Amino acid sequence: MGFFDSLAQWLGVKKKEVNVLVVGLDNSGKSTIINHFKPPELKNHEIVPTVGFNVEKFKSKALAFTALDMSGQGRYRNLWEQYYKECDGIIFVIDSSDKLRMVVAKDELDLLLQHAELKDKRIPILFFANKMDARESVSSVKCSHLMGLETLRDKPWHICASNALTGDGLHEGVDWLTDQLKDVLEKKSRKK
Amino acid sequence: MLSLKRDKKEEEEGGGNPFNNLEKSSVLQEARTFNETPINPRKCGHILTKVLYIINQGESIGTTEATEAFFAMTKLFQSKDPILRRLVYLGIKEMSKIAQDVIIVTSSLMKDMTGKEDQFRGPAIRALCSVTDHSMLQSIERYMKQAIVDKVPGVSSAALVSALHLGKGSQEVIKRWVNEAQEAVNSDNVMVQFHALGLLYYIRKTDKLAVNKLVSKFSKHTLKSPYAYCLLIRIASKLIEEEDAGSDSPMFDFIESCLRHKSEMVIYEAAHAIVQLKNTTAKDLAPAVSVLQLFCSSPKPTLRFAAVRTLNKVAIKHPAAVTACNLDLENLITDVNRSIATLAITTLLKTGNESSVDRLMKQISSFMSEISDEFKIVVVQAIRSLCAKFPRKHNVLMTFLAQMLRDEGGFDYKKEIVDCIIVTIEENPEAKEAGLAHLCEFIEDCEHTVLATKILHLLGKEGPRTPTPSKYIRFIYNRVILENAAVRAAAVSAIAKFGAHCEDLLESCIVLLERCQLDTDDEVRDRATFYVNVLKQQQKALSSAFILNGLQVSVVGLERALHQYTLEPNEAEFDMKSVPLATQPLAEQKVRDVPGEAPSARPAQDKVAASRQDVYQEQLAQVPELANLGTLFKSSQPMEVTESETEYYIQCVKHTFSNYIVFQFDCTNTLNDQLLEKVTVEMEPAEGFEVTKYIACQSLPYNKPGTTYTLVRLPAEPTQVTGTFACTLKFLVKDCDPQTGEPDDEGYDDEYVLEDVEVTVADHVQRVMKPNFAASWEEVGPENELEDTYSLSTMSTIEEAIKNIVQYMGLQPCERSDKVPEGKSSHTLYLGGVFRGGHDALVRAKLALDSSGVTMQLTVRSTDPNVSEVLATAVA
Ligand SMILES: Nc1nc2c(ncn2[C@@H]2O[C@H](COP(=O)(O)OP(=O)(O)O)[C@@H](O)[C@H]2O)c(=O)[nH]1
Ligand SMILES: [Mg+2]
Repeated sequence: MGFFDSLAQWLGVKKKEVNVLVVGLDNSGKSTIINHFKPPELKNHEIVPTVGFNVEKFKSKALAFTALDMSGQGRYRNLWEQYYKECDGIIFVIDSSDKLRMVVAKDELDLLLQHAELKDKRIPILFFANKMDARESVSSVKCSHLMGLETLRDKPWHICASNALTGDGLHEGVDWLTDQLKDVLEKKSRKK
Repeated sequence: MLSLKRDKKEEEEGGGNPFNNLEKSSVLQEARTFNETPINPRKCGHILTKVLYIINQGESIGTTEATEAFFAMTKLFQSKDPILRRLVYLGIKEMSKIAQDVIIVTSSLMKDMTGKEDQFRGPAIRALCSVTDHSMLQSIERYMKQAIVDKVPGVSSAALVSALHLGKGSQEVIKRWVNEAQEAVNSDNVMVQFHALGLLYYIRKTDKLAVNKLVSKFSKHTLKSPYAYCLLIRIASKLIEEEDAGSDSPMFDFIESCLRHKSEMVIYEAAHAIVQLKNTTAKDLAPAVSVLQLFCSSPKPTLRFAAVRTLNKVAIKHPAAVTACNLDLENLITDVNRSIATLAITTLLKTGNESSVDRLMKQISSFMSEISDEFKIVVVQAIRSLCAKFPRKHNVLMTFLAQMLRDEGGFDYKKEIVDCIIVTIEENPEAKEAGLAHLCEFIEDCEHTVLATKILHLLGKEGPRTPTPSKYIRFIYNRVILENAAVRAAAVSAIAKFGAHCEDLLESCIVLLERCQLDTDDEVRDRATFYVNVLKQQQKALSSAFILNGLQVSVVGLERALHQYTLEPNEAEFDMKSVPLATQPLAEQKVRDVPGEAPSARPAQDKVAASRQDVYQEQLAQVPELANLGTLFKSSQPMEVTESETEYYIQCVKHTFSNYIVFQFDCTNTLNDQLLEKVTVEMEPAEGFEVTKYIACQSLPYNKPGTTYTLVRLPAEPTQVTGTFACTLKFLVKDCDPQTGEPDDEGYDDEYVLEDVEVTVADHVQRVMKPNFAASWEEVGPENELEDTYSLSTMSTIEEAIKNIVQYMGLQPCERSDKVPEGKSSHTLYLGGVFRGGHDALVRAKLALDSSGVTMQLTVRSTDPNVSEVLATAVA
């Protein structure tokens, strides 16, 4: 990257772009969450199960997000790994009303954290305890407990309860992620 | 044509191609750029183009590298740039077969195929179908159906064609799209209509009745698209061919009516179809030929080319019909388009008479240097058929061929010439010396190892039997001094043959071979040492067995037997007789008779024919009950034991082992409302034979072939080898629902009478070509010789007698003795082979024709007295 490019970026002339990976078990609400950030005319009214991945873009205060909405079905989960290397942040979506599969989600999370590409990186992880409106949902505190998040020390993380249908909680989460990513990016460009 | 004419130099240097010196690893390295944010569409597009370029150059990319590049490429979906997106679709299609986990792009592509950008939708469909596997088809089915009937033609066409490709993996799913395809056939767009018809046909392809209906329906309700018409003509002519029908078929009427269509493309297609049909009379051909004749004088070069090319192809089959166009063809000889001119001349050569040969050959040599190799090959093929037709013209033709050999040309072209000379030498003894001389000259400066070795082999085979063998030695020995190892080895083998065959040359050949023992290459040294030692023995039988006639085993079989031998260490010596013999590749001989037929089909065909028995051996070894029968000696050609188009279709193949015969019955159940179980073929054995085992086919559902075996022990008496077996198919029937195939629980026994199966002498004999029959005859010797004279009163020609003898004995005609020179009333036939148990079997049949039929003096030699007896009595 040329000198002027990086200078322009550092000065914030262009909106900085970041890659985030949106992962989580199937049916947890990933596609619905992403859909929420899209401008109204592009919104999908009918969300069908994702096969493979979907690229979506959305903007928050200071950053342009490119989100890879990954399929959560079992047979596709190994495909997530292909994208670990190039990602700046992760959104991990948990269906807080699916207590039964919470342990499966935890296993997936552990696998992800131990993956060679991610283990030693300080990338921020945002957890959505989604479907908070559902009757049998558990609180975000209970959720972080069940997921064993207290032992997660070497990466910045944050959990918030959300309702992807109405959008409640989503912006709070993304604001946190934006702040984290700004810090990371600034450090990166200063190093150059 | 334009590209062919391009300057050669320029081609070699790449002529300003910016992608010329791309290196795979650095391009793949560059592909990492795809991961950068934000995406630079121009830069990424350029890199992706490079990736596509190297894939299309045939560069092989490993799975890991490909997968990495593929996933990086998926990132490009972030960009909305239309050019980049379309390159991504291409990238997906190209890499879908080499990268793993390509289904990752499914959702992204599905979004594009249903999106608003029409220019993305078609390519997205094509890409999607290339990444979709069988199990995922269900999930995209709904979208595919919608796309087929989409009002945008590009989308509809893409979906139809992709469906065709998908159908190759799973017919079942696309069968459900038939309604949509029906609707698309009514489209106003010519391409959509064509593609829809293609899909409809593909779906119904296996159901002859449905295809019939399809053609008759669309031949009435007029299609708009000329492309669709062409396809319909092809389907119709295929039907005619399958039904072995003639011009009385309604399909023929349809094709004929297309000769009056308004589109030239359709008219040509119809004419082409008609002249290619098998059962046609001169009257049927006439309208098609007159259409082609008209095209010959069209101002459009494409039409002239198509017409003359078609006439060229059918010239041999229908010379009379093509002669009608002679005047028009003569006009084309000077056509500015050299391809048209070449085809016109070669067509005239095929149909013309002997007197026109010289004139036409002169005409063609005037522009040989201007035409491409592809058309030079057409010329050679024409010469080849001329050589066969006018043996007396061999002088003119050989000289012409020799001239062509000296000129520039690629491998395929040179190979064609060499093959042509070789065939001519074999067919026509008078052309032999001149032909060999041309070939000797050619190998002095031949850059193709394959051709040089082939010619050396031929010189070794034919040279020793010419009046002056010594003159070839110099040419051959020059190769030893000047060439690469493969050619040197071939030259060594050729010299050895001269030594073995010509006593007066033996001394000198041994000296030459001894010099070769100092060669730098292992193979050359080994061969030389081997030959020197054999030759020094000065024994006719040894020389015949190891030099002149050589090993006749199946290479695959030998490899397997040796491997087996090394696995189980054994005191006994390795037994050569346990190795299956090389089966004579029949296909090759057949192909020779039809020059000008698609040459690309040749190698594959040879290969299948040569290894058919190896395949059987492997298959039989998989059946535990048949695994211990020893080496498979011979497998017969399959023969039908049911009439065609009956309830059950059954073919029988006889496999001969040293003490057993396995009858293999390949069965197809053509009733969709029956499931057969426990299927066997019960056999009534002929005298001395004994059925020892039936191996049932456990289940035979509708239209899925299955196999049952019957094992029969051969009679103990060695001269008792033939018999007739009555056969009955026995099975348990379960009726079932034709739609779902769901069978009833209960079944009932039933049987079905089959045609008798004969075991003949030929089933106990394997054909072996003895390149030097006389040497083999001496090698076996007169010890077990039997001789008798027969009068074959039912035969009216020598050719007919030969055909019957060869067929009945199952031996290989050697020295081309199955070809009778024209007008001869006596002839000698030489047959070679091996009898079950590994005994050599040679037959000499002296035939004479007189008023009462053919008289034959039959002499049989074998290493085993019983074999002589069996063969000597076979004809009686
Ligand atoms: N009640 C409720 N349903 C939700 C919420 N988020 C998603 N869903 C529903 O959960 C289902 C699965 O959502 P989807 O986005 O396809 O999940 P994905 O497989 O993770 O992409 C859909 O039927 C959504 O409507 C939520 O916050 N509350
Ligand atoms: Mg989804």
